[in-house]
Amino acid sequence: MWMRRLPMHRPILKTCWQTDLPMAATPLSTSAWRTRARQLLSPDFVTPAVMLIPSLALICLVIAFPVAKGLWFSLTDGSLLRPGHFVGLENYIDLLGDKSFWNAVRFSTIFAICNIIGCYGLGLGLALLMQQDIPCRGLFRVLLLMPWIVPSLVAIVSWRWMVADEKALFNQIIALFGGSPVYFLSDSTWAVVVVIAIKIWRSFPFMMLSLLAALQTIDRSLYEAAEIDGATPWQAFCHVTMPAIRNISIVLCLLMTIWTVNDFDTPWLLAQGGPAGATENLVVLAYRETFARNDLGMGAAVSFVTLLVLMALFTFVLRLQKED
Amino acid sequence: MTANTLRRRLAASTALLALSAGSAFAEVELDFWDQVWGGPEYIATAGALVEAFNAAHPDIHVTYRSVPWASWYETYVTAIASGSAPDISTGAGFQAVQFYDFGEILPVGDVASAIGAETFAAGTLEAVTYDEQIVALPWTLDTRAIFYRTDLLEAAGITPPTTWEEFRAATKALTGNGVYGLVSSGDTTGSHWVSSITINNGGGLFDAERKAALASDASTEALHFLADLVADGSVNPASAGYSNDDAIGSFVRGEAAFILNSPNLADLAGEAGPNIAVLPPLTSPHGTKGTVYWVNNIMVYRQTEHPEETMTFLKWWSDNQLPLWTEGNGAGLPARMAYQQDAYFTEREQVSDVIAEYLPVAKPMSAVAGGTFPAMNVVDGDGFLRTLIQTIWQGGDVDAAIADAQAHLEDVLAD
Repeated sequence: MWMRRLPMHRPILKTCWQTDLPMAATPLSTSAWRTRARQLLSPDFVTPAVMLIPSLALICLVIAFPVAKGLWFSLTDGSLLRPGHFVGLENYIDLLGDKSFWNAVRFSTIFAICNIIGCYGLGLGLALLMQQDIPCRGLFRVLLLMPWIVPSLVAIVSWRWMVADEKALFNQIIALFGGSPVYFLSDSTWAVVVVIAIKIWRSFPFMMLSLLAALQTIDRSLYEAAEIDGATPWQAFCHVTMPAIRNISIVLCLLMTIWTVNDFDTPWLLAQGGPAGATENLVVLAYRETFARNDLGMGAAVSFVTLLVLMALFTFVLRLQKED
Repeated sequence: MTANTLRRRLAASTALLALSAGSAFAEVELDFWDQVWGGPEYIATAGALVEAFNAAHPDIHVTYRSVPWASWYETYVTAIASGSAPDISTGAGFQAVQFYDFGEILPVGDVASAIGAETFAAGTLEAVTYDEQIVALPWTLDTRAIFYRTDLLEAAGITPPTTWEEFRAATKALTGNGVYGLVSSGDTTGSHWVSSITINNGGGLFDAERKAALASDASTEALHFLADLVADGSVNPASAGYSNDDAIGSFVRGEAAFILNSPNLADLAGEAGPNIAVLPPLTSPHGTKGTVYWVNNIMVYRQTEHPEETMTFLKWWSDNQLPLWTEGNGAGLPARMAYQQDAYFTEREQVSDVIAEYLPVAKPMSAVAGGTFPAMNVVDGDGFLRTLIQTIWQGGDVDAAIADAQAHLEDVLAD
């Protein structure tokens, strides 16, 4: 019965901090404090606050606690078996002087940028194509989703066989055209190219699907109006399509950045971060520090730096989006 | 349901429970975690052996669990950290000493004495001794030997090389028409070339004072020898990106003449097995010979609530483990000398050659210092040796790669 008393037509959590007056700038009188206190104790605030407690507790348990624990580990010198001592920012300072860290930052950046450009371009192109009335469109949509559906282990190991050596499929094709074999996984540059290419191959279906959904929400009358105004298909794409899918594109690119920076499967299953560290990203480095080098503090520090960079990027992009 | 039906069902349930939970009647429950040291037949044999122990010891019940090598370190570390470590486990070469250093392993010197130190292959007990305590019982020896394709050498009219110089000439002569003189990998097995060839040249990762010595003259010379093979074009260019399985596949298909690998390589070669022979250890320019070996072992965890019964099982396991090879086709060579004399080993040419020719000159990964110490587990699993060998197989700057690896090794030892 108490739920029925809630005024459902107005925002439930519209309380003191959402009033129109700037709180800090206006000193509150005693009566104003009383009013605020009354508001805080009113069922409008207490009831939803109480209802939120379980969710908040769960969030604290599954997010805040591990993050806090990770932060603490990054400030210690322990291992997984031996509790460490507090060392302040020593791990972070060591990290800044560590060549493998900067190598991982460099590869993570290249990996993320190339994957986003690649999978967004490919995803958008195919989404535009899938929007057209082409034969067997349904079948193509299903087939194009396959790289996303196939388990990463199966997909990456299969790719590995196709590029491993001069007898592998890709080199057989190169040989057909009279080319010399390319040692894709043994050459640092080629290994980076292959890791990025496979990541793009695994990522574009998600982009395609999301962008296709966004494209289908664009009002067709806008294209008709553009056509009447004499716009070319390219101009219609630039001035109708792109502005309409701009926001979803930003969100997709942001999500893809996070997933790419946090991708362990592709560089690990394909080349274990090699050869000679060429495809070692920050996540692989964190794994190596923690489990291979038994340095929990450094591993946690790498993870935390990754988290901070991603959060900064996330905030920056959201702010840009808000300003627009 | 009638009363009779109910009684029958109750009786049947009780009988089923009694059958399925025979272990519940044992006074002591032990958990034995065993790494996968072979194919499915190994796991089946080990499980049957545990059941044989259980049958012979009604007051102790051991539960067997096979632990895959993938993420093995995480498995044990997590189990220990969460207080759910096994009572006893097999493990990698330096696992016991590192866990002992963390206070998680019980010394097993009494069991080793009861069995008799003389029953173990020379140097194996030393390899598991730390702080004057035997921290684990040796059970298998893993070593690296050079194998060659007899058919390829015969076809080219080349006799098996005996020195570095001959080896270099042979690999170069055998390279061509899609065949390479040498194939290796960029993974851990590939990185074993670093230890093997530096030890062969009288060097190693460490000096006698356990200081990093990758940049020593002997070790540098050995690593440059590998770089020379690459410069000659004698090493399959795919090696840096190959896994060990890829490299073995290439060798078995006859696409490479030489490979450094574990003693049971011929067992993995299928029909190509008869065309594979063991190359006697090469003689370095300084007249030295050698390769690397590891002593895999069995350890008892401090978290056990039944140390006495666990030690009983440990001794029984060591005394009765021959079927792990003869029936389970387990990898590696037995640490118990008597088992090495079994027909299973002596009648297989390649394995007996490794035992006869490589084991006497093999040294632990800790050479030149010898023995074992906790940092070895990090050195073994860290990955910097993989980076070093990948750079060499790529034809990269060897001196820079050695300097990086040396600096990293110094860091590991300083920690």
